[in-house]
Amino acid sequence: MPQSMLASMWMPSAEELSQLAPLFALVATIVALLLAAMFTNRNRNVAASIVTLGAIGTGLLAWKRLQSGAPSWAGFDPNGMGPMLISDTFSQFFIVLACVFMLVVTAMWWLGQKSDLPDSEVHRMDATEFFVLFVGSAFGMSLMVSTTNLLMIILAVEMASLPSYGITAFRKKNRVAAEASMKYVLFGAITSAIMIYGASLLYGYYQTLDLATIGMKIAADMQAGATTGTLFLSVAVFAFMVGIAFKVSAVPFHFWCPDVFQGASIEVTTWLSVASKAAGLGLMLRVLSVIICAPSAFPVEAFKYVSLAIAIMAALTCTVGNLAAYRQMNLKRLLAYSSIAHAGYMLMAVAILWSPTDAGIGAAHPAFSAIVSYIIVYLLMNAGAFFVVAMVYWSTGSESITAMNGLIRRSPMLAVCMAIILFSLVGMPPLGGFMAKFYLLMAVWKGGLYWLVVIAVLNTLISLYYYARIVRAMILTDDGLPEISAPMSGQLIVAMCTIGIILTGVLLGPMKEIANNNASNLYAVVKSDVAPRTASAAGPSAATPNTENADTAPTIP
Amino acid sequence: MLATIGLQHYLILSALIFSLGVLCMATKRNAIGILIGVELVLNSANINLVGFSKYQTGKGDGQIFAVFVILLAAAEAALAIAIFMNFYNNVRTIDVDRGDELRG
Repeated sequence: MPQSMLASMWMPSAEELSQLAPLFALVATIVALLLAAMFTNRNRNVAASIVTLGAIGTGLLAWKRLQSGAPSWAGFDPNGMGPMLISDTFSQFFIVLACVFMLVVTAMWWLGQKSDLPDSEVHRMDATEFFVLFVGSAFGMSLMVSTTNLLMIILAVEMASLPSYGITAFRKKNRVAAEASMKYVLFGAITSAIMIYGASLLYGYYQTLDLATIGMKIAADMQAGATTGTLFLSVAVFAFMVGIAFKVSAVPFHFWCPDVFQGASIEVTTWLSVASKAAGLGLMLRVLSVIICAPSAFPVEAFKYVSLAIAIMAALTCTVGNLAAYRQMNLKRLLAYSSIAHAGYMLMAVAILWSPTDAGIGAAHPAFSAIVSYIIVYLLMNAGAFFVVAMVYWSTGSESITAMNGLIRRSPMLAVCMAIILFSLVGMPPLGGFMAKFYLLMAVWKGGLYWLVVIAVLNTLISLYYYARIVRAMILTDDGLPEISAPMSGQLIVAMCTIGIILTGVLLGPMKEIANNNASNLYAVVKSDVAPRTASAAGPSAATPNTENADTAPTIP
Repeated sequence: MLATIGLQHYLILSALIFSLGVLCMATKRNAIGILIGVELVLNSANINLVGFSKYQTGKGDGQIFAVFVILLAAAEAALAIAIFMNFYNNVRTIDVDRGDELRG
């Protein structure tokens, strides 16, 4: 009731706030950046150091929570309307990944601003603004995986998107960057507007902003065999999913991806290629698992169509990505299409989230562990590949595939690492990319979507061609380009990524164990914590959802 | 004669504005025009939220949501227009069809 809301203003307790330490650390980093800019006359090295420290600090806080096995926490719940924020292994895992990747991108910025290309000029001048936007988008992505509340989801997606538009436009004098950022902001604004409209319909139909409650009400409706409002519901869910599909760059919402990746500076491209997609997938898993897992006994049949829709989207996404990558000459654009294709593979595992497993309650759903291991390997592969492209770019000023010609002579170390990374992107054994893809396709096979596995294997064959084209340019074509002067630290990062890829591939057992451990925790969170909590919170409304919905469901003209 | 205004009226208005917004986004070639379409869709969502909040839940959450959406729309418009300015400085137009350098 509004009166009681005003009478007893709700305040979070210190203990509640401490659960969100990683998020606060990111915000503190932004504040520190702005203050430091004021007092140090916008010193770029200070700004970069603050981001590095902030990323390490945030990562450690999240890592500590991940290791301590602290029970998952869902809070900020005034008036029993459902939790606003969640802190559990799932969110902490993604925050740790985001922080690791922030360090990679900051290192890339640090090395990139030393080159004498026009981009570096901008990076030297406006380092503070760049990093504020950059950490802002990292904060938004961390929020995306820490909530099941419709309002918070919208805010998180916008928090992640708006700074990303800004950093895409960062090369102000560059026509291509201007065009890319305009396409990005328009696509983003349109999809997020439609997403908000979908959220408003969901809110109106189920009268709550809490997704877990919505999930229970949907399940109760389905059990009762309610058919009214099905069209309304599917429009709402579809509209809501548009925003998430945009972040994952799933077909047909992928058009921004190649343009933005080509137009943005390489640091931004690297950041968006992994972080934006991982956060989008995290949000998608969170949303779907909360909706599916909330009810105790739900009819699996009812979700078959949603599963089919996502499976078709996944198949289209990886096919379109791989086919379009065929004729690309720009390395960033080629890697953009490759990242669309990889998003498609990961979406395949999302599609089996509905299939029941024989593992029993509390055990990992294979979809989770498959995606967790895939994201880890994907991060390593993309960080390495973009770092090599970046170093070639700094040294030659070209992002074309011809800039790679004869790399084996010009920088043997980079060429060998790049070849390993590319073969891992294809999915060749015994590299990490193969293991990750193998787990993923095994999971999809066991989930019963056999045709999807066939499509994935065909796609792998297609993708071999365009990845191999880069390898051919590096090894077989040599038109006498000068040697690459790659910075040592950059080479070290590439080497580390490559070693990581080899290790994840060779150490088959541990890899599977890590993924399973992480995923079983994630699943335990989804299964046992979220559902009972909201069951008690939703209380009476959950007990009689059908009559309530029948009374209050809006009649759509 | 005037009927009492109920939830239906809000929803019809919202659906109309949503359709106009989508139409605007689909047909305009000027970047500002597309942005106006986005604002229409956001406002139709706001009408939904406020209407549902008043007639269905009775809690304030929908109206709070609407306030946040207004805020988001303002932030988005500010950033989008800055980016359009930047595009204009480079291309001397904000016709989205002229953004054809990136393709394929």
